Amino acid sequence: MNPKKLVSRLLTVLCGSVLLYWTAAYAADYPTRQIELVVVTQAGGGTDLLARTFADVAKKYLPQPIGVVNKPGGGGAVGYTEIAASRPDGYRIGVGNVEISMLPHMGVARFTAEDFTPIAMLNVEPGAITVKEDAPWKTVEEFLSYAKDNPGKVRVGNSGTGGIWHLAAAALEDKTGVKFNHIPYDGANPAVVALLGGHIEAVTVSPAEVVNHVRGGKLRILGIMADQRSKGFDEVPTLKENGIDVTISTWRGIVVPKGTPKNVVDVLIDATRKTANDQSFRDALVKLNMTWHYAEAPQYQEVINRDNAFFKALMGKLGIAK
Amino acid sequence: MYEIDMLFKGFANLANDPVTLLLALIGVMLGIVIGVLPGLTATLGVAILLPFTFGMDPLSGILMISGVFFGGIYGGSITAILLKIPGTPAAAATAMDGYALTQKGKAGLALGTATFSSCIGGTLSVFMLIFLSPLLAQFALEFSAAETFALAIFGLSIITSVSGDSLIKGLIAGFAGLLLSTVGLDPMSAFPRFTGGFTALFNVPFVPVMIGLFAASEAFKSLGEEQTRHELKVFIGRVIPPWSEFRGLIVTILRSSGLGIIVGIIPGAGADVASFVAYNEAKRFSKNPENFGKGELKAVAACESGANSCTGGDLLPMLTLGIPGDAVTAIMLGALTMQGLQPGPLLFKEHASLVFTLFAGMLFCYVALLVVGLSSLRLMGKVLEMPRSVLSPMILALSVVGAYAINNSMFDVGLMLLVGVVGFFMQRWEYPPSPVVLALIMGPMAESNFRRALSLSGGSFDFLYTRPITAGLLLIAIITLLVPVLQRRIHIGK
Repeated sequence: MNPKKLVSRLLTVLCGSVLLYWTAAYAADYPTRQIELVVVTQAGGGTDLLARTFADVAKKYLPQPIGVVNKPGGGGAVGYTEIAASRPDGYRIGVGNVEISMLPHMGVARFTAEDFTPIAMLNVEPGAITVKEDAPWKTVEEFLSYAKDNPGKVRVGNSGTGGIWHLAAAALEDKTGVKFNHIPYDGANPAVVALLGGHIEAVTVSPAEVVNHVRGGKLRILGIMADQRSKGFDEVPTLKENGIDVTISTWRGIVVPKGTPKNVVDVLIDATRKTANDQSFRDALVKLNMTWHYAEAPQYQEVINRDNAFFKALMGKLGIAK
Repeated sequence: MYEIDMLFKGFANLANDPVTLLLALIGVMLGIVIGVLPGLTATLGVAILLPFTFGMDPLSGILMISGVFFGGIYGGSITAILLKIPGTPAAAATAMDGYALTQKGKAGLALGTATFSSCIGGTLSVFMLIFLSPLLAQFALEFSAAETFALAIFGLSIITSVSGDSLIKGLIAGFAGLLLSTVGLDPMSAFPRFTGGFTALFNVPFVPVMIGLFAASEAFKSLGEEQTRHELKVFIGRVIPPWSEFRGLIVTILRSSGLGIIVGIIPGAGADVASFVAYNEAKRFSKNPENFGKGELKAVAACESGANSCTGGDLLPMLTLGIPGDAVTAIMLGALTMQGLQPGPLLFKEHASLVFTLFAGMLFCYVALLVVGLSSLRLMGKVLEMPRSVLSPMILALSVVGAYAINNSMFDVGLMLLVGVVGFFMQRWEYPPSPVVLALIMGPMAESNFRRALSLSGGSFDFLYTRPITAGLLLIAIITLLVPVLQRRIHIGK
């Protein structure tokens, strides 16, 4: 970027934020100081990058900056416990992932999905069945019939036991009666590497997590666990099209602790709506290989409730629930 | 040759782009600062920097991130040598002999050697990246759980060489570390073990434990010493190692760089593993292994060249296959894709000019690291001229901040202080801290990969001897374990 352009851009941002400061300051007292956005994973993961991008773009729409704070540990249990237990004044908000509807059933968390008030959903990624390009299976049926004939032989990698992609594979077992050999890895990436090396037969992670290798001709997606086909993977059928009723996705959004005052929630909802619909935010998500999916608070709440009930039942069946 | 030609074109591109060079330089400086501060790791630095690179052109953005990555790995060694605070896990191995050299009044020599070794190791790894990428890329995919398990076992066997005078005490410390590493969520079934109800203990907070063992224990120790000896100051001495000293290090640096590159290529193993492995091999090949742990310059050279050559190794599978081996390269993968560049075999063909300019820039980063490092060492060395009574509380304060910063958790601060007290008594009774750190790095790696390998093989133990890499590594581990024991036997026999 040439220096002139940089200076002019900086000036625009500066003027813009000063203007916005005044308009927002009249709307409500909140926020008068920096807002903490808690991310329950370590710096550098998908959720972290989403949060940092969000915080960056949100500067335009909030009079105070958002600072990202990482509170990793316990697959998210540490961070969510902290968000749920923090003072509901809007100065500590969090990125709420699908885990808030899963962890409470595992007996490892001191919060429930009801402890959070949703602001808005920003991103959804469905699960998918992915195999190596040179694997003998071209369709989901072929893959599943092989798995049915060879119970416990098909090794399916996931991002960690009790994690979303383990449950995706488990839900598939539950619906189709096949038996997989689940192999947990420390995150989706190592599982994909193991698949590339031919050490496992399939992974059930999201299409976004394998897209580079699919385009590079190393891996093949057989089916997607969503209601509709995914953008960018239009030729890949959903499992529903094959008559298998499994839809599982991970989602990310902004949440606040329950009991946050309405005027604060409204400010956040408004700023989040503008941020999420900002072209630079949408562009950044595309570059991060993430699917932009904006949903307002009521729909977000519905998704949380639905998944909360679904995972409770599924985890109970699997014997993971406590 | 095609590569050399392209590399020169890359340098020419860079020379026409002073802003990019400046950004790379800033990246290196930032990285060194982040590395120096305990608790701030290269990963964190890269993650924080990433959003700022969105607006830059691809070359500047990626180069700046590389600069932070390289600087971060190197910076950890400075505090490790001067104050025995490993700024990053990789520097824990450097701290052993580096700090011993400082106590001998050879801080400058140790720092200078660390800087030169880092630069040489890093530069070699970038050259390997330029010339051998396609050859070595496939090696990364060969590594499944069984191979990684064997690597971890080899890593654990290094306990014998970092134990100091008493092998028994080293093994006791190592096993204590292994026990500690079982605390947390079971890697396969996610069942909480020995957590006592603390969610913060679901993953063993490794960095706070390390800071407590090395830095806080040292501060506690000096609290117990007489505070009147103000005159006992340590000076930094000359920074650039004399040729006569350096000549003896060249073989060590080359060997360690080779090891570091290989460890870097292996997914899931990073600079921390590389520096310990390099230390072990330097000791194995040394004529005076008994000097290791007491201030051996070769140890510093080995650890630092090993850790820094890991950077190129880490980048290799990421650039050629699009598979990141650790957190830093995962972020860099994100950065590349954000810039519209898909890593993989095609990257080298479609964006050859950019890729080779990037390599040229990485070489520039390492030269910058050498210059920035050497010119700032004297300034940093001033720390040593402070009286201990002032320095010790500052070390303690830095330890608290570092333990907090890694997870933003007060629990970790408490844990760090507790471990500091334990470390104080370990030091008093001459139990070495390095085996504990080593066990905490390798223990979870060994456990999860052993169980993963078992589950991959359907419960059969065949993988222990049917896979050549696994069997080879396990054999080296056994040799590493048995040799010191046998040597002692022979010694006593005489």
